[in-house]
Amino acid sequence: MKKLFTSLTAMLMAVSLVGCSSNKPADNTPATAAATAEATAEAAASGEKIGIILVGDENEGYTYAHMLGIKNAAAKLGIAESDIIWKYSIGEDQKCYDAAVDLVENGATLVISNSYGHQSYMMQAAQEYPEVTFVADTGDNAWTTGLDNFKNAFTSVYESRYVSGVVAGLKIAELNEKGELKEENFNEEGNVKVGYVGAFPYAEVVSGYTAFYLGIKSVVENVTMYVEYTNSWFDLTAEATVGDDLMSQGCVIIGQHADSTGAPSQLQKNMEDNKYGFTAYSVGYNVSMLDVAPDVALTSASNVWEVFYEYAFNCWLNGENMKTDWTGGYNEGAVEITDLGSAVAEGTEERVNEVIAQIKSGELHVFDASTFTIGGETPTSIMGDIDADFTDDTECLIDGYFHESEFRSAPYFAARIDGIVEETE
Amino acid sequence: MQEAAVSMRHISKSFGKKVIANKNVDLDIYHGEILSLLGENGSGKTTLMNMLSGVYFPDEGEILVNGEPVSITCPKDAFDLGIGMVHQHFKLIDVFTALENILLGLPKENDTKSGRAAVEEICRKYGFELDLDKKIYDMSVSEKETLEIVKTLYRGTEILILDEPTAVLTPQETDKLFAILKNMREDGKAVVIITHKLNEVMEISDRVTVLRKGENAGTVLTSQTNEQQLTEMMVGEKIVLDINRDFVEDKALRLEVKHMTVLNPDKKKVVDDISFDLYSGEVLGIAGISGSGQKELLEGIMGLQKCEEGSSVIYYSTAHGTHELVGLDTKQIIGYGLHLAFVPEDRLGMGLVGNMGITDNVLLKRYRKGSGPFLHKTLPRQTAEKIRNELEVVTPDLEYPVRRLSGGNVQKILVGREINNKPTVLMTAYAVRGLDINTSYTIYNILNEQKKKGVAVIYVGEDLDVLLALSDRIMVICEGRMTGMLDGRTATKEQLGYLMTKTGGAD
Amino acid sequence: MEKKTTHKAPLFHIRKKDDTTLIQAILIRAVFVVLALLVSALFIFFVTKLDPVSVYTSMFKGAFGTARRTWITIRDTCLLLMISVALSPAFRMRFWNCGAEGQVLIGGLTTAALMIYFGSKIPTALLLLIMLAVSAAAGGIWALLPAVFKAKYDTNETLFTLMMNYLAIQLVEFFVDIWDKKQSHSVGIINMAGHGGWFPEVLGQQYTINIILVVIITVAVYVYMKYSKHGYEGAVVGESVATARYAGINVPSVIRRNVLLSGAIAGIAGFVEVAGISHTISKQTAGGRGFTAIIVCWLAKFNPFIMAIISLFLVFLDKGAAQIASDFGLNEFASDIITGILLFFILSAEFFINYSISRSEPVKEEH
Repeated sequence: MKKLFTSLTAMLMAVSLVGCSSNKPADNTPATAAATAEATAEAAASGEKIGIILVGDENEGYTYAHMLGIKNAAAKLGIAESDIIWKYSIGEDQKCYDAAVDLVENGATLVISNSYGHQSYMMQAAQEYPEVTFVADTGDNAWTTGLDNFKNAFTSVYESRYVSGVVAGLKIAELNEKGELKEENFNEEGNVKVGYVGAFPYAEVVSGYTAFYLGIKSVVENVTMYVEYTNSWFDLTAEATVGDDLMSQGCVIIGQHADSTGAPSQLQKNMEDNKYGFTAYSVGYNVSMLDVAPDVALTSASNVWEVFYEYAFNCWLNGENMKTDWTGGYNEGAVEITDLGSAVAEGTEERVNEVIAQIKSGELHVFDASTFTIGGETPTSIMGDIDADFTDDTECLIDGYFHESEFRSAPYFAARIDGIVEETE
Repeated sequence: MQEAAVSMRHISKSFGKKVIANKNVDLDIYHGEILSLLGENGSGKTTLMNMLSGVYFPDEGEILVNGEPVSITCPKDAFDLGIGMVHQHFKLIDVFTALENILLGLPKENDTKSGRAAVEEICRKYGFELDLDKKIYDMSVSEKETLEIVKTLYRGTEILILDEPTAVLTPQETDKLFAILKNMREDGKAVVIITHKLNEVMEISDRVTVLRKGENAGTVLTSQTNEQQLTEMMVGEKIVLDINRDFVEDKALRLEVKHMTVLNPDKKKVVDDISFDLYSGEVLGIAGISGSGQKELLEGIMGLQKCEEGSSVIYYSTAHGTHELVGLDTKQIIGYGLHLAFVPEDRLGMGLVGNMGITDNVLLKRYRKGSGPFLHKTLPRQTAEKIRNELEVVTPDLEYPVRRLSGGNVQKILVGREINNKPTVLMTAYAVRGLDINTSYTIYNILNEQKKKGVAVIYVGEDLDVLLALSDRIMVICEGRMTGMLDGRTATKEQLGYLMTKTGGAD
Repeated sequence: MEKKTTHKAPLFHIRKKDDTTLIQAILIRAVFVVLALLVSALFIFFVTKLDPVSVYTSMFKGAFGTARRTWITIRDTCLLLMISVALSPAFRMRFWNCGAEGQVLIGGLTTAALMIYFGSKIPTALLLLIMLAVSAAAGGIWALLPAVFKAKYDTNETLFTLMMNYLAIQLVEFFVDIWDKKQSHSVGIINMAGHGGWFPEVLGQQYTINIILVVIITVAVYVYMKYSKHGYEGAVVGESVATARYAGINVPSVIRRNVLLSGAIAGIAGFVEVAGISHTISKQTAGGRGFTAIIVCWLAKFNPFIMAIISLFLVFLDKGAAQIASDFGLNEFASDIITGILLFFILSAEFFINYSISRSEPVKEEH
């Protein structure tokens, strides 16, 4: 049953992903195309390949997004399908190392894995094959290893989360204006309740929900956000349960950093059943939730992995050494929010474009210290655990804002700010 | 002549290529008669009847009911045709009452009230005594048997098949059952009883069909035959049905059992204060209804059952001295080298290891012998070879799993192993149960030879004629108590039957 | 006379065969292997639109295409074989140890703990011996607990050992959280720098020790079960408890001993997995092998040499499926179907070795 669910959702995700990627314009200039074509021929002649290690396969949304990004990037750069070797459903264990080495033995000179847990096995392989470049997507320790051929990549998805927060904030403001908020939607301090389905209490998630919260707060001041964890990256049932639980507490917006469609589907169903006497709206992740929650999905924060793959493949083609930590946000086109749902407040699109422009120009910093407080006070210092040894080591609050994903690609904002309540068991 | 209720024509059935259960059998069953289906164990009686009751489907041949060819593929087909069979192992649900068992699985209209009335009518008509509200677990085997028959009658059985119905009954209960069967015959029903007991055949049936090795060896009218003729039909050759009982003058005390009491897991006394002596050079028969404590008595002596305080079993042996056995476990009894041989009732479940060959089974009680952590098989292999040759065990080789051998061969191996060790005391439980007549007599001869060699033999038996012919003394037990000790040469069947059901112990 | 058409004889007859010769058995298996390849070729051709021959070639290459792939296939076969061998002393006694998964995990967990705490303090050779002993003890104790309860209170060992699996998984999760420095719910590779507690390369091969250990244990268990007095006791207890008691065998102590052995070997398998292969611990360390091993053990009827063949076959299918996914972009469902068809036919062969099916003869009618 669960498997059926998973595959159904995956299909839905697939459909929606195809939809959004086709919107992206091809920005290949003739000059780079010619250079690339030359390099491609060279690479092919030498029999070099690209190896891809995926934690799932096309039936799993997260992996599908990567697959799509890889295929688009390869097509754009003219890399033949036969030059890419795929390894599907590779668990986060010894199998990853086996796969990496097998890829190298089959001619891969660039090996990319897509799940965090692959990292240490990729590093093990990187030590043994210094002439091959290994990239652990979403990994966080490449720069600490001192290995020249071991890289990390992570999108600055906190930027699109901030923007999706703005969308949510506008919706709250609209509901408030229209007097549609009920008593149970406010807490004892008179703040509007917002919910968040988190996967694990890790920095990656904390950074994400803080950005989302700050996005909301940039529109409406009086909000409190409640975060509940599912302790899994992908769990339809648990996400639906947590989403329902948050709604039962009166949360009117429910964001998420977990990979399934569980929560939005539940919200849609609750609306149809009029379960709680009000409607809660969903802000999703990875893919548009409009297919599963047409009436309650506002938008989703998502990654455009194609941008990274294009960069990585270009380096490979041209024999250049990649950055140890690659990150990309709105400026690089590596993050976006998905199509706005019909439920969004009026004027949302204009405001969204405005905010994106401000982010791009550097006028707006997501983690602007003047917009939040910690322990009731405006922070003057926030340390980050950059080398991932479980201790904060680096001052990241410089020039009035927290420099997320600048010291390394993986997020490290882990401070708990006021206005967000973590509900742990 | 009237039309047959059931006719079986050219019926054949085999299991695998080696086991031919029935071969080209013709059989007629008529209304208003009792037919005995006689044959040794393994002669295909039950298989043949199972094809009527829908358990098996014949490989070849046809079945006619009231002249119409029919196809019986499942028990329901059989019921629809009015054929009901009571199997040796009852198919009853323990926690239900008798009535619930009867109505189980029938359509809704058979509600408790109308069902009860109909069942009571059946009981009255044929003379069954049955408490409809009694739970199965409170019932004796005889009550269960009665219930099974009532159950089939309630479902409209016109042709009733009973598989070895008297195996578990006392002589008195058997008489009662036979009276009921006669009532049914008067009522025009067809009754088939599967049996291997000649005296019952002579007593109850109108006709006898004898099966031998799966084939019909002939059908005769009971009034025109005798036991000797039937035996020859069953075995296929003339045999002498005499057991030589010698008298051994020189006797010595070998086992002194005093106040032995054994409790079952429910803390009920299954052996209740039994005392007796056992001497060399005698066969002590133990008679009693199955389940009266025979098994526990022997197992208590062997250290397999815990004997209660006050029990005592003293073992006397010229070679090994005197030992109190109560308090020793089997390992110690074997370890002390005490020569107590035991042929248990459950041959493959207790006496032998079914999946092992003869050699490994010979090893069973002596595998600890020899130094080091590994088995020493040379001697057991020689012993196995000896048993196979002397007792004419038919087996492909010494490693062939014994469970695949016939019952007679299995018992020869078990008895062969037990007497190989030159026992002081040889205890046997139901040593010939299920064996063909020839093997049975081989076993009787072995026991008598052992007796003549000075072994003290205990023979727990169920066939009273054999007990009377074989034993020097017969101890009778009932419900775990000893109800009498008779001289085997002067006792009568009636005396035994009386003592076997005499609750309350000896006078 | 009107003939009634009440004839509804079953179409087929299933009969037990007991006279299949070895050559017939091999022939039947061969026929079914060919059938399996043909049927799944049809699936490949008509559903996935691929060339069956190249798919089969790809499967073979996935398992044996390069020296490394061959080694990995051997390595994984060894591990599966070892867990299957571990089950046999318990299964021989009809103690249904469904807890190999947990016993492997506990063996792996203790190994990981020793690697983490002593990896840089104790020389690897000594540490390996300590890990071997400790993992065996841990796995043994993990299995012994249900056995003690079984012997004493006659609890159901199937449920008990299954529950012990969950306990083991939770324990592993607990320690992963403790050892997980990066809040990633993963221990990562232990002692990546010094290789403390890793199996060293022997004869230039990474997995030599794994193979040696498995061979030693398999042969030892075979000899122990077949030729030792203890093994004989186990076999008797497995056949019939009553017979065992009749022979003066202390049944509870034999149960405890064999299950202890079973768990200890499973624990050692955990040690091999952690110290010799993955160098990490997670709840996936056993990877379901504890359950696959049950199938292997049963199919092989406890014969370790057949276990080796079946283990190799299952690992081959696994590697083959991964390779066709990689080569042709077939997702795991498609490759599962192909391996499913292969398995189905090969298991069917066992049925036809033991049974024959014949068309029922029509019932003759009287004229």
